[in-house]
Amino acid sequence: MDLLRFTTAGSVDDGKSTLIGRLLYDTGNIKTDILETLSAEGGINLAYVTDGLRAERLQKITIDVAYKYFSTPNRKFIITDAPGHFEYTRNLVTGASNVDVMIILIDAQNGITAQTRRHSMVASFLRVGKVIVAINKMDLSNFSQQVYDNIKNAYLQIAAKLNISNISFIPVSALNGDNVTSASANTPWYDGPTILELLESYVGPTHAYAHLRLSVQCTIDGAETGYAGKVLSGTLSTGDKVMVHPSRKEGLVSKIIHNYDTVTEVHAPCNVCIYLDNNITLQRGDTLSHAHDTPLYGNGFEAALCWMDAKEKLDSAKTYLLRINTAEARCTIPSIAHKIDIDTLENYTENAPLEANQFATAQIRTLDEIAWDHFSSVPENARGVIIDPDTNNTVAAFIVR
Amino acid sequence: MDYLDILEAEAVYIFREVAGQFKRPVLLFSGGKDSTVLIHLALKAFYPSPIPFPVMHIDTGHNFPEALAFRDELIKKINAKLIVRKVVDTIREKNLPDPQGKFPSRNALQSYTLMGAIQEFEFDACIGGGRRDEEKARAKERIFSFRNASGAWQPHNQRPEIWDVYNGRIHQGENVRAFPISNWTELDVWKYIQREKIELPSIYFAHQRSCIVFNKRLVAISQYVNPDENDEIVTTTVRYRTVGDMTCTAAIESTAGTIEDIITELEASLISERGATRIDDQVSDAAMEDRKLKGYF
Repeated sequence: MDLLRFTTAGSVDDGKSTLIGRLLYDTGNIKTDILETLSAEGGINLAYVTDGLRAERLQKITIDVAYKYFSTPNRKFIITDAPGHFEYTRNLVTGASNVDVMIILIDAQNGITAQTRRHSMVASFLRVGKVIVAINKMDLSNFSQQVYDNIKNAYLQIAAKLNISNISFIPVSALNGDNVTSASANTPWYDGPTILELLESYVGPTHAYAHLRLSVQCTIDGAETGYAGKVLSGTLSTGDKVMVHPSRKEGLVSKIIHNYDTVTEVHAPCNVCIYLDNNITLQRGDTLSHAHDTPLYGNGFEAALCWMDAKEKLDSAKTYLLRINTAEARCTIPSIAHKIDIDTLENYTENAPLEANQFATAQIRTLDEIAWDHFSSVPENARGVIIDPDTNNTVAAFIVR
Repeated sequence: MDYLDILEAEAVYIFREVAGQFKRPVLLFSGGKDSTVLIHLALKAFYPSPIPFPVMHIDTGHNFPEALAFRDELIKKINAKLIVRKVVDTIREKNLPDPQGKFPSRNALQSYTLMGAIQEFEFDACIGGGRRDEEKARAKERIFSFRNASGAWQPHNQRPEIWDVYNGRIHQGENVRAFPISNWTELDVWKYIQREKIELPSIYFAHQRSCIVFNKRLVAISQYVNPDENDEIVTTTVRYRTVGDMTCTAAIESTAGTIEDIITELEASLISERGATRIDDQVSDAAMEDRKLKGYF
């Protein structure tokens, strides 16, 4: 049995939490005592499953990401229930950053909204592997195929602008369960899979045989010093000639330990402890590659950026800290090439600094040399965060263009 | 990849991030199944080195004797450094009222003892076995959960946590609570215990016990919990689904004597873990959130 992570996004009241509640309920994953706490004001409020903070229940909105778990005989699922509200888009980015699939809910009566575009932008920014567009509340639109087709066609235009390619559309009623876990008799014109069927069958890309990248986390003391790290991508074998970045030193891998076992070959993703045969010293933040197949290297790159600090805007004169996996470098973001307008999805330029929940393309300059890859070749080594060294807050996420 | 391998890899990665980013981490250990699994994962994460930080037990004084015996045996076996800090000492030093009543829970007082120990040893990261499936407030918490100098969680202003980039940067006096098994469910923990053949305290398995029936829950009679003449008392075969304090943890009626039996029982159970076993979360919808605001794990 394997594992799939997915998130739900959509406008406030589009039924995200209700959909999650429905998936948990229909698959027998809500325990009786929890169900009892959900039956406030007569009838069961499935949205109550996920709104865990007092303020969320009082304001009836989701503020931060909640994680829920369920399994079917085929798969274990981790759901991140992320906020739909504009000012909490940054929390949606947190929630969606680890998912394989994003479900975007659209209220059939309202059609595409600013939030639909914004959430699609998040899916595009994070390059989520699969998008399911759930056209919800179909029961309130008489399960009309026309309504469904209109929304689907409008969404495909957005998807084209955002380069989102792997999309499925499903007409649903999260409240009543149509096409959530079982095919609905109310949509005879729809012959595609249910949401659960899609979630059970989707398989994401593997990086097990791509370019080798290993990120060093810490040293392991002993008679000889080992280095704990994660194989982000590719295959590592004993005897491999590797290059360390940013020092550019080369060495031979003499031993690989995975858990308690000494092994001769590992594939990504895998946590290992490695030993090198010549006396080069590694440290946290080093990235290893094969000596003949190195990452890009230098003092800057162009990146897609999402600003996440609710208080401080981007300061073009400030020195921030950049982190790609465990590698750190001081950096500046002297100018923004352009921002992205979420209503038109067009690029635009303005002088105002980048602020929370805005997306942009920018040149990041590092004061220390750093190794990175393009997303198309090694996605695991093409993304990172910006940290404000004064507040220590994570202020932005970026993906190398 | 099997989902248990994925969860294990995530936890090992988190342990190594803690070791790589902090100067003085500590692993919080209660003697229960979750923190026992944590120890097992830490051993894997740092093999062939021993666990490079101490293990700390915040001792309420209301422990199950079986859990204490298990703790001492395990610590000896893995050759770790154990720190014990006692809630009774905090009560005495800070002149706090010791909870009275029939089920005198020192659960909330643990926060003071924990904060005292964090200051005493200058711990900058505390690793705990909290799981998001346990409770609604926990479901909202980051894997690296930033706490200010008074230990308070700020649920409305949590740091973004993107991909597996964990930001552990803090100022002096602040600390981070790290939860390597955040994404494990109760059943995942048991399946992992089964797969890895991890030993547990005996009270997780079916045994005979005399209990008071309180709110339809079974609370063991012990030196901390005494029955009075109005109590309904039963002696039956029970086991514990969680190991907390004897004063606030309920037993469940069960004949599950092996890990296999327990997994079968859990798969058929209609009641959540905390719902079945805790008598301190019944107070309000936000009981856990409130404790966390005061520095609770």
